[in-house]
Amino acid sequence: MNKEKIASRTLVIFVVLLMGMVAVPSATSLPTGVAGVKDSGCNCHGAVVSDSVVPILEGLPETYNYSEVYTLTIGFTGGPADPSNINQGGFNLWVSDGEIAPSDASVQSWNPNEVSHTDAGNDQTMWSVDWIAPSNDRNVEFILHTNSVNGNAGSPEGGTSGDEWNRLSIQVASPTVILEQANPYTVLTTLIVVSFVLLLMVLTFIFYQNNPDSFDWENFAPWVAGWLTTTDHKRVGTLYFLAGFFFLGIGGIMAILIRIQLMEPGNDFLTQDQYNQFFTLHGTTMIFLAAMPLINGAANWMVPLQIGAPDLAFPRLNAMSFWLQPVGAILIFTGVFSGTGADTGWTGYAPYIVSETAHSGTTMWVAGQILLVASSTLTGINFLTTIAVMRAEGMGWMQMPLFTWSILIANLMLFLSIPAFGVGLIQVYLDRVIGTAFYDAASGGDPLLWSHLFWYFGHPEVYVVIVPAFGIISEVIATSARRSVFGYRSMVYAMAGIGVVSFIVYGHHMFTSGMDPTLRFVTMLTTMLVAVPTGIKIFNWLMTMNGGSLVYRTHTLWALGFLVTFTLGGISGMFFPSMAMDLHFHESYFVVAHFHYVLVGGTVFGLFCGVYYWFPKMSGKMLDERLGVLHFLTAFITYNGVFWPMHRLGVWGMARRHHTYFISVDEVRGVDGEVITEAVIGALPPEAAGWNMFITVSAILFFFSNFLLIINVIISLIRGKDAPADPWGGWSFEWMTESPPPTPSFGRFEHGVWHDLPTLKDANEHIANEPSKLGEWFNRLMVADKEEVEN
Amino acid sequence: MSGEHDEHHHPSAWGPHHWDHGAPHNSWAPLMMSIGFGIFLFMLASAFNNDVVDASYIPLVMVGLLVVLFGLIIWWRQDMSFDGTYEPMSTGTPFKNIQIRKVGMWVFLMSEMMVFTSLFSTYIRYRTGIENCQTVFERGDWVEQGYTLETGEALICFEPASHLIASSWWHIAPGAINTFALIVSSFTIVQALRYASKPVGEIDENRRKKLVTRYLGSTWLLAIIFLTLKMVEWFIGFYVPEISFLGIHEHDIKSLVAEGYMINADHYHHHDWVDPVTGATMLADISVGASTFYVTTGTHGVHVFGGIVGLTYMTLKASRGGYTPKNAVSIEYFGLYWHFVDLVWVIVFPFFYLY
Amino acid sequence: MAVTSPLFNVLWDEYILWSLLVGVFTFGWLYHHSFAYRSTDGEKAGNVDELTVGVFPKHNDNLKLEVAWTVLPFLLIIYLTYISWAPLDHVWAAPGSDARGDECLEGQSSNNIFYEDTGFVNSECYHVIELTGQQWFWSFECNPPVNSEYSQRNYSLSADLCAVSSQMVEGYGMQPVINLKAGETYLLVMESEDVTHAPWFLELSTKEDVLQGQKTTMWLPMTETGESLILCTEYCGDSHSLMAAVVSVHS
Repeated sequence: MNKEKIASRTLVIFVVLLMGMVAVPSATSLPTGVAGVKDSGCNCHGAVVSDSVVPILEGLPETYNYSEVYTLTIGFTGGPADPSNINQGGFNLWVSDGEIAPSDASVQSWNPNEVSHTDAGNDQTMWSVDWIAPSNDRNVEFILHTNSVNGNAGSPEGGTSGDEWNRLSIQVASPTVILEQANPYTVLTTLIVVSFVLLLMVLTFIFYQNNPDSFDWENFAPWVAGWLTTTDHKRVGTLYFLAGFFFLGIGGIMAILIRIQLMEPGNDFLTQDQYNQFFTLHGTTMIFLAAMPLINGAANWMVPLQIGAPDLAFPRLNAMSFWLQPVGAILIFTGVFSGTGADTGWTGYAPYIVSETAHSGTTMWVAGQILLVASSTLTGINFLTTIAVMRAEGMGWMQMPLFTWSILIANLMLFLSIPAFGVGLIQVYLDRVIGTAFYDAASGGDPLLWSHLFWYFGHPEVYVVIVPAFGIISEVIATSARRSVFGYRSMVYAMAGIGVVSFIVYGHHMFTSGMDPTLRFVTMLTTMLVAVPTGIKIFNWLMTMNGGSLVYRTHTLWALGFLVTFTLGGISGMFFPSMAMDLHFHESYFVVAHFHYVLVGGTVFGLFCGVYYWFPKMSGKMLDERLGVLHFLTAFITYNGVFWPMHRLGVWGMARRHHTYFISVDEVRGVDGEVITEAVIGALPPEAAGWNMFITVSAILFFFSNFLLIINVIISLIRGKDAPADPWGGWSFEWMTESPPPTPSFGRFEHGVWHDLPTLKDANEHIANEPSKLGEWFNRLMVADKEEVEN
Repeated sequence: MSGEHDEHHHPSAWGPHHWDHGAPHNSWAPLMMSIGFGIFLFMLASAFNNDVVDASYIPLVMVGLLVVLFGLIIWWRQDMSFDGTYEPMSTGTPFKNIQIRKVGMWVFLMSEMMVFTSLFSTYIRYRTGIENCQTVFERGDWVEQGYTLETGEALICFEPASHLIASSWWHIAPGAINTFALIVSSFTIVQALRYASKPVGEIDENRRKKLVTRYLGSTWLLAIIFLTLKMVEWFIGFYVPEISFLGIHEHDIKSLVAEGYMINADHYHHHDWVDPVTGATMLADISVGASTFYVTTGTHGVHVFGGIVGLTYMTLKASRGGYTPKNAVSIEYFGLYWHFVDLVWVIVFPFFYLY
Repeated sequence: MAVTSPLFNVLWDEYILWSLLVGVFTFGWLYHHSFAYRSTDGEKAGNVDELTVGVFPKHNDNLKLEVAWTVLPFLLIIYLTYISWAPLDHVWAAPGSDARGDECLEGQSSNNIFYEDTGFVNSECYHVIELTGQQWFWSFECNPPVNSEYSQRNYSLSADLCAVSSQMVEGYGMQPVINLKAGETYLLVMESEDVTHAPWFLELSTKEDVLQGQKTTMWLPMTETGESLILCTEYCGDSHSLMAAVVSVHS
């Protein structure tokens, strides 16, 4: 074994250890929370664990009776506590189900399921509380921490030392024997770990498949190290795809857990607390850890190929943008493993996000987001530079493929808006960590400032994830219809228009925020305006098919499906700028329906379309068309089943981010006027329950339908047909190289210069030779060519 | 497979690269640095939680920084042999034949601009939205409302750092010197570029080495002075001796922190806020204003620190004769960044120190 | 009470009409072209615009059409903006405006006039009441302190005009009830004790954020009698979804 192999092996182990270091502190505290009160007993003194302290919890039955009230006696013996001390002790009691309530002033309640002593109660060693048993079947767990205090807390030595604590855990069985219901955290954590292990197994298998003869550590370690250290745009693109699909799955699992909770009114599958964390992480995961990496994956793969560049402008920076993502992801998920994940919603509105009621995991969520912001900034620099400077000979701005255009515009938007978010996050992080007061309303901080910084980024961000899908659809529809895209120039201007408008529409997220009505009115006008460029794009796509010869492939189906869902999402979007209606829709399921139509029906369908379109290029293997069509049909139908009914639920009054909902019942009277059914005030009419069940079933089906894509990819990698260089008959440069493309993607570097880079011809020479007025002006603005100056 | 090709030319992902084969390939640096940043942010958040400090995490914060440093060293080792062999040029209009990295640097500065714009919008929001402490004091109604040192009630108002700083010429001195230091350093970095890019033959190579090192070194020194004075101004304060012929009396200049101007100062009172009539002393909650001041100037300080890290390497490289006209342009890239940092300070200084 | 307010319904109907028209047009077009222009010659389909690798394809455009579908949607949104405009004055009318009048004097009634075609409600004067949000409950105050920023009232509202009680609500537990009178208009002045909340008056189709350290207002013009829920619609932490209240309107 040579030195290099030892080095790479050491590094692999090192990396695993470091990742472990990040994950472990939170995992070890299971199930009692990250560095919370429960971790250190009573945290008011620097106490140490000691066996000499014996916690006592009396008054508990073997099995409880439904809703009965039990009076519990809490106490401890041992430790330094002594009646002559100023203080003697403290406790913290947590119960998994039912409610505990203080019975006198020596005990205070933190939550319905958590109590501890008060200042008045810290010179006692015995306390009593009431526990109301749950009204349903649960195996209840009690965790008691007691703290034995030597009472020197107020002494001049400032002594908090010498105090000791210990923990006691007791189970109480339910009246009827039940199968223990799995803790949703455990479910989620297990699923995350299982998916990760599966992912590793599949990767190992692919390695084995490539080198069946040399399947050993000596070859495996450099192979893994090769992926960990790669800076090749194609390999980094693949890593983005892997990470993106992995987190799409994780986000999907959380969506399913959320949907199971909402299946019926008043369901208690998830507690409010769990629900809050799940929807926060679902949103964050889907936007930042699934949609963005998938887009970056496609962009990494295709942009250099489409513009005829050997690689990105800054390959190592590109690797850096990727690796910040999984590290950020670990931070974002940190709290979940111990039940204290971020519970702020993906918007993380101030002042809740800096308040103490937000979970401790919120700080880590913010930290993770900061890394993602850094990653996006680096990606932006890289792609803007690459597209500006590395286009092939003959490819002017107006000869770029539309996907490249879309990535250029998306990155420009992202790049100019994300610093605002980054600064906001840093302010929140500092507020939470070192106690600055940017969003502390009690010190004069303004919660609306966060909303402004967030949405100044947040709205361009949603266009950032949809615009690349526009690019993909433009490529696919044109290629499939065997035509050049209708109105190339108006397509570009429309995208650029969306890019410009995106910065001035964000106020529509804040119509109900108490913002100045003048500002609301201005953003209402600009928001209305977004419909124009979007409409141009949709009509241009439709017109592209006109006179074409539409070849039906899987990607064609996805593109047509995209047109349907995205148009629906666009139309429902038109309801929001009308403010009198938005006052009703804001934070309702109508909003949820709208943005899922745009983000799933738009972004995700667009990306699926891109995957089917470019997979042969990326892997050199064809995908199975039958499985692809099956995937499209199942996913398209179940998808609409999930999100279409949500529009109606929103109008009825189903609020977003609510862990449950209740149904109203009208009073029913018999013939004599006696009340048969009492009226119940709920938010939703009775038929809403049925629709929610329908949505949940559709959601589960939608979730599983997407595994067809993964199965398809795996089958194709193992025994797919070899793909030709240009399987669909596209025109742009990516179809010029072999499938899969070599490294570097085009040309070779010798004596400080690139040779054999491709040149683009233009079928519209006459137009290309006459630069537009705008183009001339733009060129004059920039530094002139060296040759031009010499001539 | 392409991997074998890479391995042949680039036997180590630790660097250094063989630049004559084109762009850098495998590298451990991105992964290392990402993990380092992750550990740093995680441990920092574990170590500090508002006012509670858990010192056991501090070493782990350091571990995070060390891992970042480790990644940075790998990155540099790969660039160490960089001598201008590989300086890719743009192929597309309108940047044709301009160094790609220069374009990249400009694009990067564009996003940096947005960072400081956001910080400034925070500042403008609070500066215009919260009443100035001085105004409140002069109006005097805080006494009637009972926000005084005697009652212990604090009034929310905006206290710009400039109020403290303007209270004495000595207080403004560190900031003023810093402004000159940065402006001069912008000049020295241009001088370094000038001598590094003088065509071969026009200048003696030893002299080039000496001059480039000297100018880069003085830029480094000025940056160090900047940060040192910043620390003095924030945390340390200084002592003014008796210089009788200038009429200067012996006294201590307290640092901003020692004056109670802290990010979480919710019980602050400026030394001359005493009501002449009642003798009451005004108590203010100025944490928003102070947070804005420290975070904005602190972000700028971090940028200066980043510059120092870069300059350390560049000075070292120059002292070994690393800069020739062939690769002098890399001093220009750094110079662009450095001018930007300078420019930001020129805006920060009047807004936070003078106004 | 209806599920949504008349004001909302008028706009909703108009928008649905235009959505249907746009939808029928777009989907009809999509449906037609997907079938009419499908490839008939199988795999090696006719390459209409002679797409060739490495050659930027020839332009396929028609300026008149492109201008048409820039201008027509633009006209449509101008119309939609126009019809969305009038309700704004209504929703965010300033106290003292024609639609809302001044604060009611003792014994004065708002005498709400309801316009069915627009959903607007005009009133002669209004009553000021207060709402405070905190984690995680609402509290109403019929008689806020005299001479507050929004009210110069020097008498107490009668129990008929405004009364606060509480009631068990299925699923939500004990919740506050604000009893108001139909035909009267109220100005709700709101503030939060801690984080941001937002009361959603489900059947008035309106909501507004409640912020700490800053007052926000909302009009409650009552026309119909009945009971309905108020939910919190700005995420505020643990019990956000159970932070409810009831508004009960009597004649």
